[in-house]
Amino acid sequence: MSAETQQPLYPTTGEPISTIARRAKAGLWTLIVMDVSGTLALIISYTYLWSLNVNGGWAPPGAKLTYDQTNAVPAKSDATFAAEWPFWAILGIVILATIAMWFGYKEGKRGNQAGLIVGTGVALLITIAGLVAQWIQISTFPFGSGNGAYASAVLLLCASNIFHFGMLTFLLIGVFNRARKGLINKAVHFQAQLMSYWMVWICIAFLLGALCTTFLVVSPNTDPAVFGSFTQLK
Amino acid sequence: MSSATATATVFGSEVPQPKQHGKPGGIMRRLNFVTGMIGGLGLAIVAGVVTNMLTPSGASTATFAPAAPDYVYLAVLLGWVIGFMAGIGAFVGPIRWMLGRDLTHADAEYMAGKDLGWKRYFKFTTDHKVVGVQYLVMTMVILGFGGLLAMLIRTELGVTWAEVFSPSFYNSLIGTHGIAMIIGMIIVVMGPIANFIVPIMIGARDMAFPRLNALSFWLLFVAAICLISSLFVGGVQDGWSVYYPLAAQAPPGMLGYQMTIIVFAFSTGVASVNLMVTILTMRAKGMTWSRTPLLVFGVFASALMGLYAFPFYQYSQILALSDRIFNTSFFDPLEGGSVWLYENLFWLLGHPEVYVIIIPSAAVLMEIIPVFYRKPLFSFNFAVAGIVGVVALSGLVWAHHMYMTGWAPAVNYPFMLSTEMISIPVGFLVLVVIGTMWRGVVWTRLPVMAVYAVIFNKMIGGVTGVYLSDVPVDQYMHGSMFVVAHFHYMLMGAGLFGAMAGVAFYFPKMTGRILDERIGSIGFWTAFVGFQITFGSMFVAGLQGQPRRVLQFDDLFNLSNWISTIGAYTIGLGMLIFLGAIISSWMYGEVASSNPWGSKSLEWQTPTPVPLENFEVLPVVTERPYNYGVPDPYQAELDAVDGDLEKVGK
Repeated sequence: MSAETQQPLYPTTGEPISTIARRAKAGLWTLIVMDVSGTLALIISYTYLWSLNVNGGWAPPGAKLTYDQTNAVPAKSDATFAAEWPFWAILGIVILATIAMWFGYKEGKRGNQAGLIVGTGVALLITIAGLVAQWIQISTFPFGSGNGAYASAVLLLCASNIFHFGMLTFLLIGVFNRARKGLINKAVHFQAQLMSYWMVWICIAFLLGALCTTFLVVSPNTDPAVFGSFTQLK
Repeated sequence: MSSATATATVFGSEVPQPKQHGKPGGIMRRLNFVTGMIGGLGLAIVAGVVTNMLTPSGASTATFAPAAPDYVYLAVLLGWVIGFMAGIGAFVGPIRWMLGRDLTHADAEYMAGKDLGWKRYFKFTTDHKVVGVQYLVMTMVILGFGGLLAMLIRTELGVTWAEVFSPSFYNSLIGTHGIAMIIGMIIVVMGPIANFIVPIMIGARDMAFPRLNALSFWLLFVAAICLISSLFVGGVQDGWSVYYPLAAQAPPGMLGYQMTIIVFAFSTGVASVNLMVTILTMRAKGMTWSRTPLLVFGVFASALMGLYAFPFYQYSQILALSDRIFNTSFFDPLEGGSVWLYENLFWLLGHPEVYVIIIPSAAVLMEIIPVFYRKPLFSFNFAVAGIVGVVALSGLVWAHHMYMTGWAPAVNYPFMLSTEMISIPVGFLVLVVIGTMWRGVVWTRLPVMAVYAVIFNKMIGGVTGVYLSDVPVDQYMHGSMFVVAHFHYMLMGAGLFGAMAGVAFYFPKMTGRILDERIGSIGFWTAFVGFQITFGSMFVAGLQGQPRRVLQFDDLFNLSNWISTIGAYTIGLGMLIFLGAIISSWMYGEVASSNPWGSKSLEWQTPTPVPLENFEVLPVVTERPYNYGVPDPYQAELDAVDGDLEKVGK
């Protein structure tokens, strides 16, 4: 056996695990590029509509609701904008899960299998808590889905968070289970490593959303374009 | 691995194996296309019925249309996508991974289709060659479907004395034709040729992620069915770009379009990830970037553009679907939305998509020409620079589709500049092809004839594109048949004819047979002549002022439209002949040797049919792929340059 083949081999192709890990890492980076584009599409949508304030329709109408449609997510109160702290709280939950995952990965890499299992398990539990928190936030917004551009943009950002939480939950169940079965261990730990990297990107995605919903709330455009009523210029 | 209980011999090494659960393949032995259809149709029916029961009577959409058809159709589409993918086994891999039940080598061989014969084409098969052939057939079906709709469109426009179809059905023919052809063109090289050829070309045994490969193909299949289904619920009546506010007022068929794009973008995304990682990490030893064939560069560039740009298109449709179903207002100005937001998101893919199509087609030409001219490629570095230049500029040209929309007129001229600049790297690619031909002795076969056709078409499409990129000209030309003729010259004239050249070239490797040269050439040239008649005449109609997507027009345009329709039927005839050549050659054609063209690149050094593992021993690359007729390639290249300089007296 050559030096290269003394490390564990991948069962299906017989290649060294380091080769598979390198491939998987490249795959992760490309997947992140794809997800960055998707997240940017949402962020661009938010900032674009925020900056334009078309028809003065950026802010939810609150108590002045006059345009009553069949809201899939109905309005709950007279308030307009969403509270800012839940976005940061949810970001904090994701960061905690990421720290737990990194702890698990580092411990696994050092050969502490119990640390790996505990780290991934805790990350999984925190992620599930985050998923629940995100759901509670969506279902308690003061506005409904039909209450203007701000409401639309915030709801879709939160829907994107839900999607990311769902993916994280699935992947963490897998990583936890595989750690428990010893399939992720000191010698074969690249899946835990990639999971940690992925979670860092998720934190960034959540951070972008929180920054938007905190610092770009009231539109700066106080003289917005008005479409829908055409008057003759004099 | 701790759970290993046995070993298997994998390419000469004893490799520990996880526990084998049952026969190799497990539950995948029972899942195939039929179970996929049962799952898809079954879940679609159940989802539709349940949604219909749950939808309150009298519910309305944002445009005050009845909501029930939208909700039910969306539920049917979701049921179809999830049910089919579950039924064919797409979720088995992720669930096994989650449960920690890793595949054994025997499992992987079963999933790659070993010893399954023709059945492997109807399963979630992971072998890249099977996926390549699946893509080839699927591409022909999609292009055939889109082409049939084109015939119907031309029939309506050619029969100027009567109305053949209702205006709404005509509009849905236009929209469905447009998006079907765009999808077909995006996959025509990136599907069959990239999947089948590229892994062998770089000396790999398979793609980096074989299951993602199968996933990308079957997602394409379910997306195509979503699009076809839309024809039965009002169709896509607003062109392939489905601008707002027209899309908001469209019948439920719009949901079919939106679901098609959301699923297709995911399919393209995972395919791009797979191709890029394969190229980055699995090239043979010695295959440095300067020894990597240009098709690989072209495929990588196309995948990269698709990777960053497709999510914008996907999200434009997610937001549009949300507006329609959840009453959000991203694109509704009455509540703070903006149709310009839609247009920007759409064209952020919409224009790179042209290069997603054209770059791999151009790369195919650069593979063909050195082989048939037996000459080294003229300036490999220029070709790479051209591809890199196109990728770099591709994300900076989208707004030239929006000159006349009123969005940010101040940026029209910067976008005009960037659009004209991109013709420079595209010109590099044409220059490399022509430079390679220069003073060469050609072995005239169908693939190389197709190259000539592509160069001719690309010149016309490129030059008219420069006209349209100019803001003043676009003021007069936009929305006219001139634009339609221009983009058909680029997408069909350069993209599709280039892909046909690629199919003719790689046909022996993919099928083990030689494509019938005589019948294939008759079909190809018939289509080419029909193409010039159709779109040459359409340029005239555009210059006369005929607007696109309009059913009824002035008698002034009759003659141009009659000629275009005759040309379109000629294209149809040519394509049918070409298709006949493919089918008859595939079934009864002359058996091909492993390297019938005498090519030097790796894919032709494997036996035909290509074995499951491609290479028993992985190859080592020691020279560039285009060193034809050159005993000492590097010295000979230098001598040739010196000789040329002497002749011109320098």
